[in-house]
Amino acid sequence: MATSVQLPAYNLKNAYSKRRLTGFWRMMTGFRTLYFTAIVALGLGAIMQTATFLLIRYFVDTALLQPNLAEVLPPIALGFIGLAMLQGTFSSISGRLSARTSEGVALRLRDYMFDHIQRLSFTYHDGMQTGELIQRSTSDVDAIRRFFSEQAIGIGRIILLFSINFGALMALNVKLALASVIAVPIVVIMSLFFFRRVSAAYEAYQEQDAILSTTLQENLSGVRVVKAFARQDYERNKFDGDNREKFRLGKRFMLMHSAFWPITDLITGFQMLGGYFLGAYMVLNSEITVGTFLAYAGIITWIINPMRNLGRLIVQMSTGMVSYERVMTVLKEDREPLGEGLWPEGHLHGNVEFQHVNFEYEQSDAPVLRDVTFKAKAGQVIALLGSTGSGKTTLVNLLPRFYDYTGGSITIDGVELKEYARHYLRQEIGIVEQEPFLFSRTIRENITYGVGREVSDAEVEAAAQAAAVHDVIMSFPEGYSTLVGERGVTLSGGQKQRVTVARTLLKDPRILILDDATSSVDTETEEEIREALKLLMKGRTSFVIAHRIQTVMNADLVLVLDKGRIVQRGTHRELLAQDGIYRQVYDLQSRIEDEIEKELTGVN
Amino acid sequence: MSTDLRFEEEEFQAQFNGGTLLRILSQLRPHWKWVVGFLASVGVVSITEAYFTFLVKRIIDEGITAGNWDKVLEIGTQYGLLIFIFAGAVFGFIALTGTLGQRVMYDLRRKIFDHLQNLSFSYFDRTPVGWIMSRVTSDTERIADLLTWGLLDVTWGALNIITAMFFMFTIHWQLTLIVLALIPILFAIAIWFKQKILVEFRKVRKLNSKITGTFNENITGVRVVKALVREDENLREFDLLASDMYRSAYRAAWLSALFLPVVQIISAVAIGGIIWFGGLQVEALGLTIGGVQAFISYITFMMWPVLEMARVYAEMQQAIASAERFFSLMDAKPEVVNRPDAHEAPSMAGDIEFDHVEFYYEADKPVLRDFNLTVKQGETIALVGPTGGGKSTIVNLLSRFYEPRGGVVRIGGRDYTEYTLHAIHSRLGVVLQTPHLFSGTVRENLRYGRLDANDDEIIAAAKLAGAHDFIMALEKGYDEQVGEGGVLLSVGQKQLISLARAILAKPDIFIMDEATSSVDTLTEALIQQGMEELMQRSTSFIIAHRLSTIRKADRIIVIENGQIAEIGSHRELLRQRGHYYNLYTRQFRDEMEREHDPFASQETDIAERATAQPAGD
Repeated sequence: MATSVQLPAYNLKNAYSKRRLTGFWRMMTGFRTLYFTAIVALGLGAIMQTATFLLIRYFVDTALLQPNLAEVLPPIALGFIGLAMLQGTFSSISGRLSARTSEGVALRLRDYMFDHIQRLSFTYHDGMQTGELIQRSTSDVDAIRRFFSEQAIGIGRIILLFSINFGALMALNVKLALASVIAVPIVVIMSLFFFRRVSAAYEAYQEQDAILSTTLQENLSGVRVVKAFARQDYERNKFDGDNREKFRLGKRFMLMHSAFWPITDLITGFQMLGGYFLGAYMVLNSEITVGTFLAYAGIITWIINPMRNLGRLIVQMSTGMVSYERVMTVLKEDREPLGEGLWPEGHLHGNVEFQHVNFEYEQSDAPVLRDVTFKAKAGQVIALLGSTGSGKTTLVNLLPRFYDYTGGSITIDGVELKEYARHYLRQEIGIVEQEPFLFSRTIRENITYGVGREVSDAEVEAAAQAAAVHDVIMSFPEGYSTLVGERGVTLSGGQKQRVTVARTLLKDPRILILDDATSSVDTETEEEIREALKLLMKGRTSFVIAHRIQTVMNADLVLVLDKGRIVQRGTHRELLAQDGIYRQVYDLQSRIEDEIEKELTGVN
Repeated sequence: MSTDLRFEEEEFQAQFNGGTLLRILSQLRPHWKWVVGFLASVGVVSITEAYFTFLVKRIIDEGITAGNWDKVLEIGTQYGLLIFIFAGAVFGFIALTGTLGQRVMYDLRRKIFDHLQNLSFSYFDRTPVGWIMSRVTSDTERIADLLTWGLLDVTWGALNIITAMFFMFTIHWQLTLIVLALIPILFAIAIWFKQKILVEFRKVRKLNSKITGTFNENITGVRVVKALVREDENLREFDLLASDMYRSAYRAAWLSALFLPVVQIISAVAIGGIIWFGGLQVEALGLTIGGVQAFISYITFMMWPVLEMARVYAEMQQAIASAERFFSLMDAKPEVVNRPDAHEAPSMAGDIEFDHVEFYYEADKPVLRDFNLTVKQGETIALVGPTGGGKSTIVNLLSRFYEPRGGVVRIGGRDYTEYTLHAIHSRLGVVLQTPHLFSGTVRENLRYGRLDANDDEIIAAAKLAGAHDFIMALEKGYDEQVGEGGVLLSVGQKQLISLARAILAKPDIFIMDEATSSVDTLTEALIQQGMEELMQRSTSFIIAHRLSTIRKADRIIVIENGQIAEIGSHRELLRQRGHYYNLYTRQFRDEMEREHDPFASQETDIAERATAQPAGD
């Protein structure tokens, strides 16, 4: 049912410009003709409207004087309807085309933002807050949409209404026309001034609203503390203070409005009255006709009143400008070139070699990995042992090229890692994270997420069975169609872990990374996961991050990392024979048992 | 978010409900003078506006066509005076309606907040904070808008139509009938369009939440997306969603763009009719040129309320749905309330007794079954056992956040429901697992424990809790802001402050849910010191996770499946080699491993690196 909307192609990265209006102009690429047609249609609509008043003039001055009134009137009446229909057609064309532009620009921008964000590097995401990115992708994009759908076209409308109607007035009578727009500059300046002030007042009101929300939120989330100390009255007073302040600011905001509108009403009212006087005087002096006066009375409203909103639109436009900047700072960032590089036929073998590898993060100069050298043959298990921050995760993050090493060389199957396309590597490498992340989709979709091909139900179930999670899934009423996450079931850490294992089994990678996969799991499920992981590691070059000895005992090579360096290496057996951290960790286990014994004998 | 989604859908489905509407309107009762005021001003606005048109007609007929300049001056002067009245009335309705709207919002927020303070735990347990927040913030605003601007729009629209009709009748009643015939058609069209547009808008809103959700998920899960090479597929899926939104938004926009012209064309038909028939009558039946002009103006004048009506109707529907949710919160009854004959008491010292206590949150899932326990005054009880076993329930019952479904809790030999809630709560000192602080200064947060405490007492309590030193190290000491929820402080610091807060309260009963998260060794020692201070003064119940705390308790109670599995001193229980023995040895291993971690010597180094580079590993 759902289909994609075809839009004119444009690389929005090019839309960046220091001059914001230029930026908006570029963003309109492919829609400019549409948008200008919309504005032209708007102008034509306004002309039809003005023509209506001129038709009234003809009706009064000429038609009514005709002897054969009955014959003249029907065409005039039809003329009115015809003009209204033309006006309606033009204004709906204008509405349609400007909606196509604004919605089209917004859709293109949304899609681009979405894709852009998922292609930005790890380094970028590390330094950016999720909420901030979401806001830029949603409300800021919407502000840009409104720039096209409301503000730009609204300002265009006011300007067109003014010029067309003013032109018509000039054609009717120059003196009358000039006398009728005296108030226009005053109104424009006032509205600009007012809306700037009022938007500041509104911001203050909104800020107080945020303060009030915080007070409320703290009260609600701290309800235990409030009740436990019986502080309800205190809380009431605090809330009332903030509430009262919001009331005061809201009132101030409304009173500003209540000053602006009547004052402009007075100005425009007297401007119109002055025009009527002058017009009437001119009719009586036979300078203009009665019909001209009527046309004038109709047209004049369309000159002055719209001007009162000019300030509002201009002020709102500046918020659109701010949003443009906020969106552009994201779009300016470079994407990871995911497909660029070597893309061999078939799979990797999995021979990995690190030679004097160094790594440091862009923003800091403290090296995270220093002179890391080791070799993993295809199918071997490499265990990484070390404390938090020793560089274990950083080391494995280099393999799928989440970060690029800053010194030394890494090769897979003899080819330098940086030669491979990132997408190719990531397809060949499977990762089971410490804190597995599942998407708000069905369990089946989560298992097949990232497999990149159609997967049969039998395959999915086989993978789930191998990961020891099939029975859990079948215990849900909807089985594999059960939704995960906020709107569905909540899975325990161990269950999520096993879904991830099933996912990785289906992906069938040559190289496997297990990031402390059993650390956040309770003892009962640990055994099951261990079994599942063992199965997963079979035949794949595996990198296992751990900080317990049991997990690393069977590895072909254990690397003990400290402050980014490999301080010890070897098999479990070899390392036990050495004096070093590894043996200390091992010794601790037995020492603990001794202590417990001691404690218990003390009791007895 | 899911809750909000569910409710957002309801918003548009709600139908007019007379009862709710009346109840909304009753909120205006205390402000009826204001209501009269703003309705009167908007009446003046509407009437003067129509009268302006009538005056222009008279200027044309009696002044211009009659060639009478004096009449022009006379009527023009009237017009000028009316401008002042008009401007005054505009000022009146904006000022009155605006202020009243703010006032009603203020009242509603105060009422609901008051009510929230009285609601019981059970309500907060099953209602998400976000949901309640929306009731207090956006729903109050919608209700107030309905009561002020909504009421104003309806009055204004109705008056515009009535005054325009009145003047048209005065000018020429036969022609007015043509206009009258068109009104139902206009309304029918307006309703048809608005329904179509609303359907699209509803779709847009739903899709918009979905899009935000998708962004959220793709950004939080971006590492997985990359690792699984899902970028292309995700973009394809997102594009379908965004395209759907495009279609609905576009459809809504062009339906709106069609709506106005259709209404205009219908009015043009009316104007054409008037020209046709009216023109013939300029001589025959006394319709003047000014009259024709006035008719044209009045028809435009009437068109706006019709265009607006549909919008107002949609907003009313939303406001009524808001009101229903708001009132459902207002009507929620607190479950734990003071008994009619409950009395205050200065002290809650004395033995505590759970006598055959039963408790459940949901009727078919008992949490505590036949629970019996007597605790001597001043004793310290450590509660241990698996999550969900019922430890928190015991302290919640003791705090009377919940009341037993069966059996009795006695304090000092008396059923504790004989006391007021205030009597019990003001004698409690509670420290939670995740300490909760409020925005404000350190001092304000400490004083929360006892509002009348002076600065010396506050400092003394902070010293006893071992919090004084770190507080003094803060730039502004006790006047340092802690940030929203205390974010500017570390977890350990927050715990120390909440301990000091409890010490300041000089409680008779001390309840602590020990934190599981680890803090540095020094802070840990300070926390232990603060706890000891409280445990000495008060009868204490500790949900304990640390061996040091457990060892200090007079008695240890192992709670499993809502019942006491084991009870006794540390030594007694270890000797039994049962549940406690297992728990203890496992915890012992964990703590030892953490303490003697060979890598731990590097911790400080790591901390530095973590602050310099949050991306670390």
